[in-house]
Amino acid sequence: MKALVVCAHPRGESFTRALTRAAVRGCERAGHEVTVLDLYELGFRAEMSLEEHRAYHSESPLLDPMTIEHAELVKAHDMLIFVYPTWWSGLPAVLKGWLERVMVLDVAFRLERQRVRPALTHVRRIVGITSYGSPWWVVKSLQDGGRRTLARALRMSCGTRVATTWLGMYSVDTSGIVERAAFLDRVEHTMAHLDPVRNHGGSR
Amino acid sequence: MRSLVVVCHPDPASYCAALRDRVVATLTESGHELRVTDLYAEGFDPLFTAAEHASHLDVGAHPHAAGHVADLQWCDQLVLVYPTWWSGQPAMLKGWIDRVWVRGATWELPAGGNRLQARLRNVRSLVVVTTHGSSKWINSLQGEPGKRVVTRTLRAVCHPRARTTWIALYGLDRSSAEDRQAFLDAVPRRLSSRRLRRLARRRSTAA
Repeated sequence: MKALVVCAHPRGESFTRALTRAAVRGCERAGHEVTVLDLYELGFRAEMSLEEHRAYHSESPLLDPMTIEHAELVKAHDMLIFVYPTWWSGLPAVLKGWLERVMVLDVAFRLERQRVRPALTHVRRIVGITSYGSPWWVVKSLQDGGRRTLARALRMSCGTRVATTWLGMYSVDTSGIVERAAFLDRVEHTMAHLDPVRNHGGSR
Repeated sequence: MRSLVVVCHPDPASYCAALRDRVVATLTESGHELRVTDLYAEGFDPLFTAAEHASHLDVGAHPHAAGHVADLQWCDQLVLVYPTWWSGQPAMLKGWIDRVWVRGATWELPAGGNRLQARLRNVRSLVVVTTHGSSKWINSLQGEPGKRVVTRTLRAVCHPRARTTWIALYGLDRSSAEDRQAFLDAVPRRLSSRRLRRLARRRSTAA
């Protein structure tokens, strides 16, 4: 498969970046082609501009060369991997902004007779890899907005033949080096052993 | 009663701006003290930086957020006016939450703990006025993450008995001009529900 890894963390030495590297290693072990988009490194602008908002409902909503490039990458990859820290139960602003600015008309959805139809039908798998400051039960009681955004809202744009894989590290602020290393191993192992056959009726 | 209205939309001529005007007019008429923050108009930078992340567990290390924090600590009621995009707050507004709701101002973390303690106990009411492009049904399937962030996560650091009020227009993309007008006209009534009026009365006698 071709995997697009979208990473959102401001610091190079962060656990999220380590998770990104682990995910990439896992993908490479499985023989996937990997492209990494590090939104902070790229200087990706988070907020949608006035011009972009005005163009949003037009036929060419992509105005920024960077969003055009990212939209092409989305179209060329069949696995989307998001690596981010969960802040306030949601995606960091830069990743939320990436969805708003890149996942636009004719990238994430199409309009057919005024009805919204999925356009990410080539995507076979969405993977979320994230860390939470809170323990598992608190995340569940707050209902994990970030996960719902990616595994439900974005998934709806992918048609019916898509699997989701969720890897969450809970209580990360109080975790020790052993737990973190174990989670990094788990991420690498999971990404190296994703089973394309069981979920998709054949690797295509 | 003191209300802080936070508005987030890039287009000053949008439907969201019309909603903001209704909200401001209604609250002013009801005698609220008002502060309005328009994130796009003031050019707020939503990017949480590496330096902020490095010091996010330090109290009082966030000069960029000082004005916004003062507003948050001043208000009895927080009103968010924004369009729902990808089932949640626009990146601009999420960035405001990421960067302004800092340690010491809105939450505290006991040593060795991993559960936030509320520090924004002055906020008794959280109100959201928003629009969804897709229908209520689609939003329910998606689990309304934007709604949960406010009614659960943000509420958790406010007053323990803080009320939440969700005023939302669903199906904006397929709505008619009449639908939108009807929603605009309903905003004043929804904003002065008996519950919110009672709260405002109590807060003004307390002040």
